[in-house]
Order: sequence, then C-alpha cells, then structure tokens
Amino acid sequence: MQVEVSRRKFLQGSVSLSIIGGSSLGVTNLVASHGEHESKGEASVTTKTGTGEAQEVATLCEMCVNKCAAVARVEDGVVTKLNPNPLFPKSRNMLCARGNAGIQALYDPDRLKYPMIRVGEKGEGKFKRVSWEEAYEAILNGTDKFPGMAKILDEEKDNRSTFLFCAGEGMAEHTFKTFYGAFGSANWLNHATLCLKTVVSGYGVTIGGYASADLDNAEYIIMAGANRAEAIVTPDTMDGFKRTKGRGAKLVCVDPRFTHTAAKSDKWLAIKPGTDLAFVLALTYVVLTEELYNKEYVAENFKGFEEYKNLVISNKYTPEWAEKITGINAKDIYEVAREFMAHAPKAVYYPGRRSTFSNSDFQLRRAMAIFQALSGGIDTKGGLVFGHKLKLGSHELLEPMYAQAESSLGSSWVNWRNDFVDGKHSYPVRGMFIYKHNPMLNMPNPAKTAQMLKKMELVVAIDTMPSDTVMYADVVLPECTYLERTDPVKTFGGVEPSIAQRNKVIDPMFETKPVIDIMRGLTEKITLPLWEITKKYDEDVQDAIKEDGEKETFAEFDMRKPFEKSQEEINHHLVASVYGEEAAHHLKEHGVFYPNMDKYFKQLGENKFQYYPESKKYYSVKGGKPKTPSGKIECNIPNLKKRGADPMPVWKDEYNCVIPEGKFRMLTGRHAQFTQSGTSNNAMLRDLIMENYAWINKRVCDKMGIKFGDNVEIKSSTGKVTIKAYPTEKIGPDTVFFVHGFGEESEALTWAYKNGANDNAVINDITEPIYGAASMHETNVEIRKV
Amino acid sequence: MARYGMALDYKNCINCKACEVACKEENGVLLGADKHRIWVGQNEMKGQWPNLDIANAAFLPSQCQHCDDAPCQMVCPTQATYYDENHVVRVDSDKCILCSYCMNACPYDARYVDDRTMTVDKCTFCSDTRLARGEMTTACQNTCPTKVRTFGDLDDPNSEISELLRTREHFSLKSHLGTKPKLFYLT
Repeated sequence: MQVEVSRRKFLQGSVSLSIIGGSSLGVTNLVASHGEHESKGEASVTTKTGTGEAQEVATLCEMCVNKCAAVARVEDGVVTKLNPNPLFPKSRNMLCARGNAGIQALYDPDRLKYPMIRVGEKGEGKFKRVSWEEAYEAILNGTDKFPGMAKILDEEKDNRSTFLFCAGEGMAEHTFKTFYGAFGSANWLNHATLCLKTVVSGYGVTIGGYASADLDNAEYIIMAGANRAEAIVTPDTMDGFKRTKGRGAKLVCVDPRFTHTAAKSDKWLAIKPGTDLAFVLALTYVVLTEELYNKEYVAENFKGFEEYKNLVISNKYTPEWAEKITGINAKDIYEVAREFMAHAPKAVYYPGRRSTFSNSDFQLRRAMAIFQALSGGIDTKGGLVFGHKLKLGSHELLEPMYAQAESSLGSSWVNWRNDFVDGKHSYPVRGMFIYKHNPMLNMPNPAKTAQMLKKMELVVAIDTMPSDTVMYADVVLPECTYLERTDPVKTFGGVEPSIAQRNKVIDPMFETKPVIDIMRGLTEKITLPLWEITKKYDEDVQDAIKEDGEKETFAEFDMRKPFEKSQEEINHHLVASVYGEEAAHHLKEHGVFYPNMDKYFKQLGENKFQYYPESKKYYSVKGGKPKTPSGKIECNIPNLKKRGADPMPVWKDEYNCVIPEGKFRMLTGRHAQFTQSGTSNNAMLRDLIMENYAWINKRVCDKMGIKFGDNVEIKSSTGKVTIKAYPTEKIGPDTVFFVHGFGEESEALTWAYKNGANDNAVINDITEPIYGAASMHETNVEIRKV
Repeated sequence: MARYGMALDYKNCINCKACEVACKEENGVLLGADKHRIWVGQNEMKGQWPNLDIANAAFLPSQCQHCDDAPCQMVCPTQATYYDENHVVRVDSDKCILCSYCMNACPYDARYVDDRTMTVDKCTFCSDTRLARGEMTTACQNTCPTKVRTFGDLDDPNSEISELLRTREHFSLKSHLGTKPKLFYLT
C-alpha cells in the first residue's frame, strides 16, 4: 500500500498564521474600556516544558462538557502542560486538542480580569474597571445608567421571578444554581432546550433513562445524526473508534454530510435532513414484519407493543416508503435492520447527544428507543446500559418560598426570549444573571437576543471571556478559569463508575474569582437589604415573624448560608462522609476515586488500562429491564396527548424535508477543535481551524462559479452572513453546512472578532412542539457569490 | 541507550488533532500552519455525493520518520543534524546555519524553521522534554483519544512495539527510498 502524507499536501487550503515575538505568556491591558487591541497578533503562546522541578496537580478539564481527567504540570507557578490523567475510567488516559489547549484559555490575553460596570450605551462595550465591592454595590443599588436589584424588587413587590437566571453547562453551574434557588426566582433557563432536551426526554419516557451505549462491546453500531469522531464524547469516542474498521464492530453512519464519523464507518447513508424518524420507522417495519425482534424480551418487557406494531404495519412504513422520504435506498434499510437484529443484543442504535435538529425530534428519540428495545439490547453488555452511579454525601441547600414570587414563564429558551421581546409575558422580568452562557451566539436569531438584552434593565454577566453577550452586560463579574478553582465534586455513573474532582491548579489570576467566592461576596452585600423588601411585601413572612420571631424566620431566607464554607471543605465532607477520610484525600491528590480502585486499576500496556475487572463492571443493573415507573418499555403513552404529542411515534407530512428549487437546507454541527463559541478566542485552536467555511456541493459550485475561498452570502428569512466557500462532494446538492462557534462580534476578542460566520445568524428560531427546543435544521437558505 | 521507534495504528485516527496540540504545548512549537512537527494527512475525496470512497478517506497521522538512514542528516554541512544515543534524529541549534538543505532533502517534509531559535527544527520524540525527565513516552502517544501510537525501543525484543511489529502487518512511508524509517504504519 502506498500512502502519501506530506506537509505540502497538508498545507493546501490552510492559511498560514504567524504569531511571533513578544515574551511568552504576555498579557495585554484590559480590553473593554476602549476596545483597542494593543497587542493584536503579538502573543507567543507556547512554552517548552522544562526538565527541572515541577508540581503536578490532578484536575478536570472544562474545555467542553466531558470533564476528562487531566494532570497539570506547573513550573514556577506557570502551567506549562496539561496531560491526560490515566486514572479516570471515563476519559481513559486521553486529552483531546481542546483539552491540551486549556493552557491558552488560562493565559488568554483577552480574559476578563477585573469587575466592570457599564458606562456607555447598552451593547456598546464601554465599561469601567471597579472593585468587587463597587460591582456588588452596582448590582444592589444601580448607577445612573441602570437600576439596581433593590429598586426593581421594591417596585415589583418582591416578585423574585422578575429576575431571570441562565447558565451554560459546567461543574460550577451547580453553585450558580444554588444562588438561583436561594434567591427564589422561578425563571431558570439553561442549555437544555438548545441542546439535548428532546433526546433525554424521549429516552426517559420510553425506557426510563437516557442510557449510555456500550461501544466497547457492541458489534453493530448505527450512528445517525451523531458525529462522535468530531463531537467528542468520552468514553464513546475512544471506545467507538478503537474498534471500528475491521476490528470487531461494524459502524453504519447516517448523516447528510460525510463527516469524520462517516470516514470511519463501514457504511455511510446520506439521509435527507430531518427525516431520521422515517428511517427508524422503516427499520422497525422490517423487524416487525420479518419477526426479527427478541420475542421473549418483548413479551416480558413491552407495554403497548401490539398497538405500535399495528400502527407501523398498517401505516405501511416500508423501506420503499422511507426511501422516498429519506433518500436512502430501501435495500440498505432492509440490510441494516436485518444486520442489527442479527447482532442483537450487542447492537446499538446510538442515542447521541446533540441539539434538536428537526420538529420530529422527540418522536424520533421515542422510535429509536423502541427499536433498540426490540433487540433486547437494554441494560446489557454491548447494548444500551444504565450503569451504576456512586453516591455522594449531601450538603445543605437553601430554597426558601417567597409568597410574592410568580411562577415560571416557561423553560424553552427561544420561546421565553421571543415572548419577552414581544411583550407576551404575564409579568415583567427586569433583570438577569448570566453565568458562562452566551445567548448571543448559542441560539438562533441573535438580533432578537440583542433586543432582549437591551430591554432587560439589569444584566449581570459572570464569565471568563468578553463574549458578545458580556458586551450587553451592566455589571461584569470575572470568573477565574477552571484551572484556577476547585469545583463541586462529581460522581460519574456508567459501566465503570467513579468520582472525580476538579482541583485548583494555580491561584486565580488578576482579580478573578471562582463562582462560590463571587456568590459569597454578592450574598453578603444583598441579603439583608433584600430581606427588608421581603418583609415589606411578603405576608407569609410577616405572619411567620409574628409567630416565630424574625431571627428564626430569616434563617430560612439567609442567602449567605450555602456559601459559607469553601468548596474544598464542602467536597471533603461530601466524600469523607460516605467513603472516609482517605478517599477524600485520594481525590484531592489523584483527582479520581472509586471503591477498590487500588485493587482494580492496572496499566496493562502503553495504551491499555483496566479500571474494573470484567466481572465487576455494571453492564446490567436492572436485569435487562427498563427503568420506567411501570417497569416496561412504553410504546404507547396516551398521556402525551395532553402535551399535544402523538402517543406513539408516527410520521407526518409536515416532517418532510422540502427544499424549494434554488434553495439549500442549512445544517450546523461540530468539529473536534472547537466547543461552540466558548473556545472561539483560543489562539491554539484557532491555529488549527482558522475560520469556518461553508460546505457547498462541488458540482453546484462549478455551476455557480464558486471556487475554494470565494466569499458567498448565505441568507435566510432571519438574516445573512458572508463566509468563504468550501466546494466538496461531502455534502449533497441541496444542503449547505458550516460549523458552529464562529462569527463573534465582540471587539474585545482579538482572535474571534468577526472571524468566520455565526450559523445562528441565519438559522430561523423555529421550536419543536413538545419542549420548545430550538430546531436547528429546519431553515432553507439562499446562496450567492459576493 | 535504545533505538526508539513508533508504530501507528493509523486506521484508528479520527483526525482530532490532539497530538498536534500536545506536541506544540509540550515542545513549545510556534503557532502557524507551517510550524508544526506533527500533522494528519488526508487524501482528496474520491467519488461523487452520495457515493464516496470511504477507504480513501483514511486519516494519516505523521511526523518525522526518524530514518535510520536519514537524508537530512547526510546533507547537513555543519553536522547540526545528528543521531543521539537513542538513534533519534536531533538538531543542534548552535550548529544550525539555516541553509535548509535538510528541508529539501527530507522526503517527508518533516522539517520547519523555528523563528525563535533560528533552527531548522523537527520532531524529537520529546527527547529534550519528556524523555529527558525520565518519562517513558511522547506527548502525542500519551494524549491520543483512540490510541493510535505505540512508542518504544525497537532493540528491546520484549517491548510492546517489538511485539506489535512481530505480530501485525505494517508498512513504511516511501520505503523505496531506502531511508529506513522508524515509524511503522500498522495495517
């Protein structure tokens, strides 16, 4: 075999970026006050590791959601390298490109360094540096530019729900949510409806849990609408791709694009966007009519099987029917259905973890879960597994009831935002706290998000970076990065469960703080003044004071309480109270703990580790049964009708992928070098992927006269972007794709500012009907060369 | 004293670029597309959507081949390029005069100019970082999610790499040139 691997070949199509000079780890001035880039393009961001003395600190990565275990090398107070920590069963001695580039997040010259308050117009990005005390004071009492909490809550008669709390995913989200609970608002929005709400719920109601896939033992894997080679999930990515390509597992990739996952597959089926439900229904049809399903398992564990079977057969969900909808050959559908069941129960229809793509997504997940269950591959080796979770001790939270707090205005981010902007809320929401969350980039239609942020009277942002969203804040509180803080200890369930902890590697730089310290400072400032407002309006509190006295009543409302202890103390208690002192020390020292670890853990080879002996792994925790309250696989759920949903998955004409002549279906997705917009300013990662390109079919490009690198305008009813073209056969003639996480407009981001295009600027803010999750692949666009 | 080599189970590669970043952070490699010591190659797609050639879409991780008969070492006029005690092809930055003969001689395009040290630099198997500290393997091997690489002593019959090369079929890049690479691609 001849393989040509050359540097010159590699360089084709990539643009050289030279970042030379300056001393290493140089830090520029605070960005935001005048928006100038004094040191643009002048950062030397790598340092060679030394051979002298160094400390090694076990921690957990936060470059994405996976929380892989890392060991930081610290030389003379500087983090010089992040290495994988082999002890963690979830991440199996690996750190991806982003994990390795965590150092650049720590030493990013554009980091938020000091508390700031807005001095310019909203969204203008003009701030002044203040002390923490001044920032807390501004939150409580406002400035001449914006009102404070005390004024808003007094005017709203202590309706705590007039403040919205929103957060991105992360280990310290727990701490922020503790503040939300103590504050007493009912309005909480996080990434769920922009992310995995439909998949978690679909599997939850059908088999009783969002199970993991045992890719380490599966012999047949259908990966549809999931891209584990690029959207890395541990341990799935490692388990999956160590064994494909002739080493024990057959991989079928179903995706409109030829992704890296497709490149590693045995069979790639190019499906029309958003039609996966028809594909699964046709697989089900084959399995039911040819009686390939596990009859014993179905008889014992299914509820509503006959109804579902009748529905699928009488609706004639044949592969031939599905071919017209999905564009996948009927022959392939027969083959996949038969092969899947031939390998059962060591066969996995991979559940995936991604945003909602189409309006049928919830029913798609239901159909996938039922199809999986027909094989009997539930709670069993090689199939879907619930796994075991190690318990942790408890610590006290505070969730007081405020009589004046009104109920939630909804949990769908996009719908909440649109209702707010359109004035459809039943009471005014006037302030918001944003933690590690970038609504300007993370959901369709940023123009509407900008309207929301402008209309919101008091916006407090806690973040590490001056994102587009931070630019709209009134008060900016700089969080330290994950390498500068200890976060709440976490238990990781699975076949090989463990407990892991993010330990502080170095002290927080500049004036940044971990969220728990920020909350401690803030609650010390606001608790007593806000208590006065509660006493004024809350009749229940007034009655309680009469009965029990103020001191006793206040104890339940003292927001300071959950933040009294340090994170280290809380973690120690959570672990030591269950597993003893030694376990807590082990966790601090090694980052990972599980019972019998000293006996079980072994390095078997350079690339092989044993975490649990085979006989101790938790492949099956329910004897193969689902975890639903009924103990059955729920095919038919009449109650879903109340939510306007079909009790059983059915195909509807409105789900068809209709792309008018001359238009393209807009697709978004991930790659392995960026985590949404959170890594957009990482100099190392940007060095790998300079900017995003629009994938357009090569033959279509030839017709339209579009060459590699040409600027094209992509336009929808929501908006338009200009982006460079990448003509390729990896995408069909009526679809266009570009990766998410580019196109920030914050001038305070040296590398990310106006780099590439923001997918959400063209994606229409359509939501699916059950949870209001944003449907990312329901937008048609026009393309023209500019 | 060893003769270090590397075996690559390249079909496991998902082109995530973890190795590239680990290498840059470990060895202080400058940023810039022309500065890397390690890379993942990819062929042009063959076929038309939706009928694409999956076999041709393999990812091909690569770096300096640490040839036993290295053309870069042979042409170096100042003997800046040398074999260290572990048969690793190294560069002495004090002796390098940036004549770039080695860059032209290398059939694998494995060399680049480090603008800080003014040296034609290359992969060192982490000899002056990790191995110098007594660690047993390279940054790229250690960090890889799908465990493409196995690093070790080719002269030690009991090493994992020796065992792999005895039991798995493998090939070298441009073997017809007689450079005797110490990177082995497992099939």
